[in-house]
Amino acid sequence: MSSVVHVERLTKSYGSVRGVVDLDLDVQTGEVFGYLGPNGAGKTTTIRTILDLIRPTSGRVAVFGLDPRREGVEVRRRVGYLPGDLRLYEQLTPRELMRYFASLRGMRALDPAIRLAERFELELDRRIAALSRGNRQKVGLVQAFMHGPELLVLDEPTSGLDPLVQQAFYELVRETADAGRTVFLSSHVLPEVQHVADRVALVREGRLVLVDSVENLRAHAFTRVEITFAEPPPRGAFAGLPGVKELERRGPLLVFAVEGEIDPLVKALACYRVVALDSHEADLEDVFLSLYRAGEQHAA
Amino acid sequence: MLHRILTKTLRDTRRAFFWWTLGLVGLVALMVSVYPSVRDNASLNKLVNDYPEALKGFVAFGGELDYVSGAGYLGSELFALMVPLLLLVAAIGAGGRALAGEEESGTLELLLTNPVSRRRVVAEKLAALTIELVGLGVVLWAALLVGCRAVDLKVSGAHLAAATISAVLLAVAYGAIALLVGAAFGHRARAVGLTAALAVAAYVVNGLAPLVDALEPLRKLSPFYHYAASDPLRHGLAVGHVGVLLAIAVVAAVLAPIAFDRRDLATT
Repeated sequence: MSSVVHVERLTKSYGSVRGVVDLDLDVQTGEVFGYLGPNGAGKTTTIRTILDLIRPTSGRVAVFGLDPRREGVEVRRRVGYLPGDLRLYEQLTPRELMRYFASLRGMRALDPAIRLAERFELELDRRIAALSRGNRQKVGLVQAFMHGPELLVLDEPTSGLDPLVQQAFYELVRETADAGRTVFLSSHVLPEVQHVADRVALVREGRLVLVDSVENLRAHAFTRVEITFAEPPPRGAFAGLPGVKELERRGPLLVFAVEGEIDPLVKALACYRVVALDSHEADLEDVFLSLYRAGEQHAA
Repeated sequence: MLHRILTKTLRDTRRAFFWWTLGLVGLVALMVSVYPSVRDNASLNKLVNDYPEALKGFVAFGGELDYVSGAGYLGSELFALMVPLLLLVAAIGAGGRALAGEEESGTLELLLTNPVSRRRVVAEKLAALTIELVGLGVVLWAALLVGCRAVDLKVSGAHLAAATISAVLLAVAYGAIALLVGAAFGHRARAVGLTAALAVAAYVVNGLAPLVDALEPLRKLSPFYHYAASDPLRHGLAVGHVGVLLAIAVVAAVLAPIAFDRRDLATT
């Protein structure tokens, strides 16, 4: 099997503080893998282990089948990395920073970096200290992509980027994957990655909750129906309706997930006084969360 | 300058380096220019010899306390305190910045995700530190050479070089210790503070040892003893003392990558 990143029962604790617990993960060659979770869930911990910036408490990480600890130089030669908390040499210009890293990487020419910078409309000759957050993020992206790495590890890559630049970034990610290279990117929200990722994983409180393809998530798409009643109907009033699931209940407001026809729900509503009704296609975030909640109930 | 970690580090310190050289040259110029009035005033020696014993250990550099001879004057005024003080401040600062400083500012994270081993990062940072201090030593020696000629202060170029080399070795040893502490803990303030405290303790032990019997056995553990013991301004260097200073630097240099390699890099 061609896993680019293979994580097996990875546990990382910082003293008594949890980083990640018993985490398994496989990222395949040529895919765009979205690594999702709220802030503090353990995304950065996983990523920093892949790059050998921190070492596992237990468990194993392999990148290209290599050990990032013992064969780190070889691993990092083939990886491009964008840290979540990007810190750059403030006194250098982007061009100087790229020249520095390019020579550490043994790159002969700076042209690929310059082309990327042009693509992101990044000014190359102003001191980094004088750059805006978005422009710094561009510097981070350019240094991650410039050597054409087989694997890109990008921690919250779109943070600080304006929407137009985000689009340019997604295009670059797509091209990278189409060229057979692999992109592992993290985000704290699904919409950021759903258009670009092939598969997504959700991590929460240090544990992996769910891994699924975006395609599969789309297949689970449902209509989200929010209904405000004059009087909250009794619990279980809509149980057993085909394709209808009660997602949440806040006083007189009930939220349903409806797969397939909405008719059975509409017929059942006829017995109650409805104040307001709103319905829309659920985004993948909702799908994701409903699957995640289902998983949680199974576990409980 | 941006081809290696070594040259990048030197590039980063070029401004500080300039000010340090200015400081050293200024110090030498000031001290040497006062010498003619000291030389013609033999009674100064009597004054100095009346210093309390507790002070003499700190005022002399290696040999006998003799304020009026060229070697005695340079020893007391420059090499007993001011030169090692300046070089150590520069060295410990650079040692603390080398890894811990870059880790605290967060740039080490990105540097280490390049295809370079931590061992190599440590080695190049140590090399940069050594080059910087040797550079300061060369400037110091040149200033002394010119200054001594100008006022006819009779210490040979070789003996000036011996004292300078001894001071540079002392500074490299403490710089390497600061780099080691920074590599092990990742805190610049701790690296600088701890190393400076060690240096002050070693300085005091060496200065007081002739007076306090309890300290005498500790004296040979003090790098400051080995820095001065051969009386470099009169007798040049001695292999044994140079060897001790070198050994301290080498041990710190060997331990630094080991300590650094074992550790998680801190997040900022």
